[in-house]
Amino acid sequence: MLLPKAPPIWGALNGLICVYKPAEMSVRKLRNILISKISKEMNELEVRPPAGYVAIEGKPTEKLTVSVRPNFADHPLVVGPRYQERDLAVSWSNHLGYYTSGVLLFGIKSGTREAKFIRENLPTRAYRVKGVLGLMTDNCFRTGKIMMKSTWKHVRRHNVDGFLSAMQASHQRKMFELCGVDMESQAAYDLAKQGLIRPANAKIPIIYGIKCVEFEGPHFTLEIQCVNEYEDYMTHIINEIGLKLRSVAHCTDIQCIRHSRFTLKDALLIKHWTLAGILDNMKTCSDVIKESGDLVHQKSATLV
Amino acid sequence: MLKTVRWCVQRGLRTIAARSPTTSELASVKDSGQNADMENELEVAPQRTSVLDPISEDISHIGSYLKPTFNLAAYANRSEVIQEFVKLGVNLYYIEKKISEAVPLILRLKFEDLREHVLFLNSLGVSFEDVGKLITKNPLIFKEKLEDLKVRVNYLKFKRFNDEMIARIVAKNPYWLSYSTHEIDHKLGFFQKNFKLNGNEVRSVAVQKPQLITFEQQHITENTFVLKEEMGFADEELKSIILAKPHIFMQGKFRLQKSFEYVHNVMGISHEQILQNSEILTCRASRMRERHQFLVKLKRDQFNAKEPNYVNLVTMVKDPDGVFATEVAKSSAEAYNMFLKTL
Repeated sequence: MLLPKAPPIWGALNGLICVYKPAEMSVRKLRNILISKISKEMNELEVRPPAGYVAIEGKPTEKLTVSVRPNFADHPLVVGPRYQERDLAVSWSNHLGYYTSGVLLFGIKSGTREAKFIRENLPTRAYRVKGVLGLMTDNCFRTGKIMMKSTWKHVRRHNVDGFLSAMQASHQRKMFELCGVDMESQAAYDLAKQGLIRPANAKIPIIYGIKCVEFEGPHFTLEIQCVNEYEDYMTHIINEIGLKLRSVAHCTDIQCIRHSRFTLKDALLIKHWTLAGILDNMKTCSDVIKESGDLVHQKSATLV
Repeated sequence: MLKTVRWCVQRGLRTIAARSPTTSELASVKDSGQNADMENELEVAPQRTSVLDPISEDISHIGSYLKPTFNLAAYANRSEVIQEFVKLGVNLYYIEKKISEAVPLILRLKFEDLREHVLFLNSLGVSFEDVGKLITKNPLIFKEKLEDLKVRVNYLKFKRFNDEMIARIVAKNPYWLSYSTHEIDHKLGFFQKNFKLNGNEVRSVAVQKPQLITFEQQHITENTFVLKEEMGFADEELKSIILAKPHIFMQGKFRLQKSFEYVHNVMGISHEQILQNSEILTCRASRMRERHQFLVKLKRDQFNAKEPNYVNLVTMVKDPDGVFATEVAKSSAEAYNMFLKTL
């Protein structure tokens, strides 16, 4: 069987890919799986054959013969496979916690630079977070120990909506206040015109939008648009919402449904991580970056 | 006074020897009879011609030794053994990384010992390809004498394992022949006693999963405890599990617990049904959860064989995703992929 040659494919493996991270698996584990899958498949292609071994034999006083033999020192069984796991540089653009599932960006080889730029540009992300009213746990997540029970029947959809819109408004007002402008001024309008106001520090979580998309019995689902968030921040939001609604709540699921312009549609499931699938995904990702314009390289110094 | 003089004389001699000796100096030292090497050199020295003269004898075989290398590749073109290993398909790179204590052994090996071992393994019915794999996993087998290996195979014959069984055991479990007959006897006895197996059953387990017999006994005891005390299987049920799926005893206990917890507590499968399809305990809990939740969503989670639309537990976990989506869930692969992205 004629196999495709490995070097051109290795050369093409440069860029960003968008994968789907399942819950209960760390990002580092996922990265290791990706690297081992790629190097395994690369070594199954037609790789460089062992170089010849030039032997000069015979007595130096008489005639010497030069022959080329197969070089055992360059055999893959002796020096190891041609494409090794440590040769492949892979880094993630956004970190998702252990229990979070959803869209995750990986930069491969020179794509690690793009991943870094995207990370530093603080793009917004959208999450779908599920919670349950009536039970509070010690770590605010379903894995924790139950600390408190409460009634939840009095909580209605409109209570949740009301509280969430107040929360969103307070986050937005906070950002203008931190910028030092009056909400009712021309300066505030000019600032708002430019787009999202993002925190200078990449450690401060800010919520741009939060709404309830599903409310059934004790179960509810929120959709949150934010930057600089982390897993514990999400679970604590649910906990806080529970307390503010005069009940208690804990979080059951966190799913990242959008990262900048990458959505669940672009995300690649682990079972589709083949060379063909990855290269295909790389192509769609580069298209998305081209369309967006300033996702990787910002045009102005102010982050807008 | 006398003492110091003697010390001075000795010291003087030493300084002379340390310098490059000239003939006159050596002649003076010769009388003291102290430096025998110098004396020999004195006799050879006048015969040697100038170093600038052309030389006629062949000295091409003289070279420096190999300096410490960081892998086996430096020896590959000189060592016949390494070349034979490569032809057999032995992964020397793997040995170097994982079993580094075997590397000096390989470099010291002679082709004759290697040949006899390989031919012996082949005569048991193990193909050369499998012999390569065996040596990759257990290069320390060359430490064992050929007579010992023969005794160990004879032990298996004595225990009424036929040739096919022996070939399978040796090919599947590279470490088996490194254990003495006493140890193997003890290990087989452990299974016979703990699971109350008869001779035929012990042989069947050993052939089905040869790795299990030489596996760490502590681990097997722990898994037995997990199955018996934590999951609540009876002794006879453990026996049927080990006969049907011996691999379950080699799995990690936390993984086993998670699988059982999902199957029994979430899916509501009884112990009897798990025993009939013991293969589901080898399935990862996450995979089971994905598939079960998909069936729940389609309202197809019907695991009672006496009612219509029954889903077989083994076919549910065994096949790849595409087959599962179309055959078991009666849906499409695309729908299943879409569903996986909502978890």
